[in-house]
Amino acid sequence: MSSVEQQIRDAARQYLENGVYCVTGYERGPRGKVRPAFIYQASDVDRLVWGPECDLNLVNYVHQFKQPLRRGEPPPKVAVVVRPCDARAINLLVHEQQIKRENVKAIGVACTGATPGDPERQACQVCHERVPVTYDTLVQAEGEAGAPPAQDNYTDIVDMENWTPRQRLDYWLKEFDRCIRCYACRQACPGCYCFECVAEQVDPHWTSIALELPEKYFFHVMRAFHLAGRCVACDACEAACPMDIPLSQLNRKLAKEVEALFGYHTGEDPEKAPPLTTFNPAERLPL
Amino acid sequence: MSHSHPNPMKPNLATITGIRNLATGIKLLQVKLDDPQVSRDFDYQPGQFAELSAFGVGESPFGITSTRGHGEEIELAINRVGTVTEAVHRLDVGDKVGVRGPLGNGFPMDQFKGKNVVVLGGGIGGAPLRPVIQTILDNRADYGKLSIFWAARSPDLLVFTEEYDYWRAQPNTELYLTVDVRTPDWPHKEGLITTLIEGVNPSPENAITITCGPPIMIKFAMLSLKKLGFKPDQNWVTLEAKMKCGIGKCGRCNLGPVFVCTDGPVFRFDRVEGFMESFV
Amino acid sequence: MKVLTQAQLKAWLDDLAHNLTLVAPVNVQGKLEYGKVSGSGDVAWDYQRTDMSPKTWLFPATESVLTVRQAQDGTQILEPPEPPPTVLFGVRPCDARGNLAIDALFLNKAPSDSQYARHREATTLIGVACPQMWASCFCTVVGGAPNSTEGLDILLTELQEDKQTLFAAQVLTEKGQKLAANMPGTEREVALPSPKLTAGLPTLRPSAEWQARFNEVYWQRVGDRCLACRACTFVCPACRCFDVRDEVASRQPGVQVFERLRAWDACTSEPYRRIAGGHNPRPTPQSRLRNRFYCKFMYYPQDFGSLGCVGCGRCIDACPVNIDILEVIASVEKMAG
Repeated sequence: MSSVEQQIRDAARQYLENGVYCVTGYERGPRGKVRPAFIYQASDVDRLVWGPECDLNLVNYVHQFKQPLRRGEPPPKVAVVVRPCDARAINLLVHEQQIKRENVKAIGVACTGATPGDPERQACQVCHERVPVTYDTLVQAEGEAGAPPAQDNYTDIVDMENWTPRQRLDYWLKEFDRCIRCYACRQACPGCYCFECVAEQVDPHWTSIALELPEKYFFHVMRAFHLAGRCVACDACEAACPMDIPLSQLNRKLAKEVEALFGYHTGEDPEKAPPLTTFNPAERLPL
Repeated sequence: MSHSHPNPMKPNLATITGIRNLATGIKLLQVKLDDPQVSRDFDYQPGQFAELSAFGVGESPFGITSTRGHGEEIELAINRVGTVTEAVHRLDVGDKVGVRGPLGNGFPMDQFKGKNVVVLGGGIGGAPLRPVIQTILDNRADYGKLSIFWAARSPDLLVFTEEYDYWRAQPNTELYLTVDVRTPDWPHKEGLITTLIEGVNPSPENAITITCGPPIMIKFAMLSLKKLGFKPDQNWVTLEAKMKCGIGKCGRCNLGPVFVCTDGPVFRFDRVEGFMESFV
Repeated sequence: MKVLTQAQLKAWLDDLAHNLTLVAPVNVQGKLEYGKVSGSGDVAWDYQRTDMSPKTWLFPATESVLTVRQAQDGTQILEPPEPPPTVLFGVRPCDARGNLAIDALFLNKAPSDSQYARHREATTLIGVACPQMWASCFCTVVGGAPNSTEGLDILLTELQEDKQTLFAAQVLTEKGQKLAANMPGTEREVALPSPKLTAGLPTLRPSAEWQARFNEVYWQRVGDRCLACRACTFVCPACRCFDVRDEVASRQPGVQVFERLRAWDACTSEPYRRIAGGHNPRPTPQSRLRNRFYCKFMYYPQDFGSLGCVGCGRCIDACPVNIDILEVIASVEKMAG
């Protein structure tokens, strides 16, 4: 079996030669940094690479391809290289009617978590799937069947829950202090695609334009709530943040609540609606 | 202290002295600056704009539609499209507003003397053109033939309808009207302004053109004028790009290397032609 | 030239902090930015280049432009208070040149931005020269140098003598002289070490050659991966676009107070040029990114004769998708042949 990289390249070539407009994967730039790559021609597929540094969610880019390229045509078909966590976003966006499943070809990479020696990311440590929940082509490393899926016991979240509210607030205010409200987290997130974000809305003017702590606190808590039951735990937000703010902890706290209340894991099934976007009169929480 | 650095973002207090409906969703506001000295010094040219503050809501730029010398009031045509204009539409005569200006450059009316002037106004774009027309009519002998092409999406969106007869009555002055979609009682042409002007086919001989309207209209009007034989140095436009500070600082309104608020809003079209990507 | 020991420099800074607002590099949860310090003990001494530039001390990320008070007795418009005398210590030469880029628009082009002018007047800049160019630096490509004195009031250069760390101080302006009046140290001649420069950097092409390449497909491709966040703009010492909004400061019966706030904004963000009514002439990240590069390398030179980039490299480090301004410069060089 050829290497993961070679399989990705072969799949990309296959899709490009069969009507796909663009393949989104990763390449290595001149400085050696891994970054998203858009491949439009089969002759360019050798640019594609794979490794633990591939830590954004490329499904985020399908939002750019929702509209036709030319008037009167259907939207273009695109292929996306996805990790198991990324693939959950495909199911989310299909359910939320943002994309048609047949327009996105998922080159799903079976994940073994991070390579030993590389710092293993939080998302990897507690990931439920080693194989993408949805894919059109499956890419697997030779010899690795994939470690058994981990159980997420939210131990880090439980730890924080044992702090006093004051301790928790102090912790988060300290983390938000260095936020620059650049919105890289929001922009990197496939679940954040509102035409006008609450944080930037002019009318109503929900929050000040000020780049100060109250506004930053509002933004991150608001965004976490808007993603409750919708976040796919890809940690792209944390990867994108230029200030290394541990954003995934906020999302994981809410994921824990959603799991406890509704038994729901985001993105496993495109038919199942995220709990907070449904209104089910039969479902009443004990109050 | 403060006087060594006058604050160009500070508005002058003014009072609304008159409001009337100009068209559907468009009101004409008359404001008078509270400080008589400031009012006297507020010397504006056709084409310049002012930043109007609805205190507590915001500030937006509006082309000044009155002509200096025709009363102390400054007239602004306000199209209700967003937060600030919504708030302005809810103001009453007697309310206080803020006015900054006059801002931007004006039309080089002296350069146009002796020439035939072709004016194209689309919708609310007619507002900054009204003082151009008025200045020509106030100094009729200084200018050649005046051909006004005035358009809107529908008859109820035409601005300054009460002045059309007055314009038509002036010597060597023609007015052509068109709407995209007519109503049963509409006596004039139906169709786009480009169709209208191509039909009339004004001569480019010793002429200049002035166009104002939505970005897409300006784009196609320039193409029509080219078709009719107007050269790039004959066509003038006044543009609106999202302006906030109005004084060339916040960066928003750039068209390539020029700022609409300080280098414009009046431009000879060939100066900004290459940067229409920032406008249309 | 005055030469100070580390101890002398620290003592002088402690002294300054007593009488003025002293701002210096500080470590905030592992990120380096410029913050107010009560003395030399708070300063993060060991830095190459900070993560956030000192720009916010001249052009604050959030600032009140004026206050409007509406009450029964009328409407008053109030100016913000004067900024206090401030010393910005530890400014790198690239950041000082960044201030000059902002000056070009805010001060030198009429009308002068009064808030910025006040901050500028109230602030003295003490620079510290870089002993070398760091990994993402390219100041030399855009007319700067690791030991440039442009835009600084005092420039300190670190040197080693007999295994001791010393600082040689070049006092460059009247403002610098005033501040240096009580600077300790020994007045003597000293050879300043030359900084180590990075070799093999691309050449920046003149603005006319950028103009000729405005419609190249290259700009579509480099912008494909842009997330349209604001990180590059906010870390940049030369970027200066802002948003203005009227916001309620307080509301009591009969009295309303509004603040006209301005806050940093970025041309890369999607709503930046969206106008009331919804039209957006730059709806794609590609077109916005192209505008940002052109602003720095074509519009600025055409308007002011100087560049809108100082080669600090912060955007290269901050960008989540590795959009690399130096790569862009090299690509334009390649396109120009």
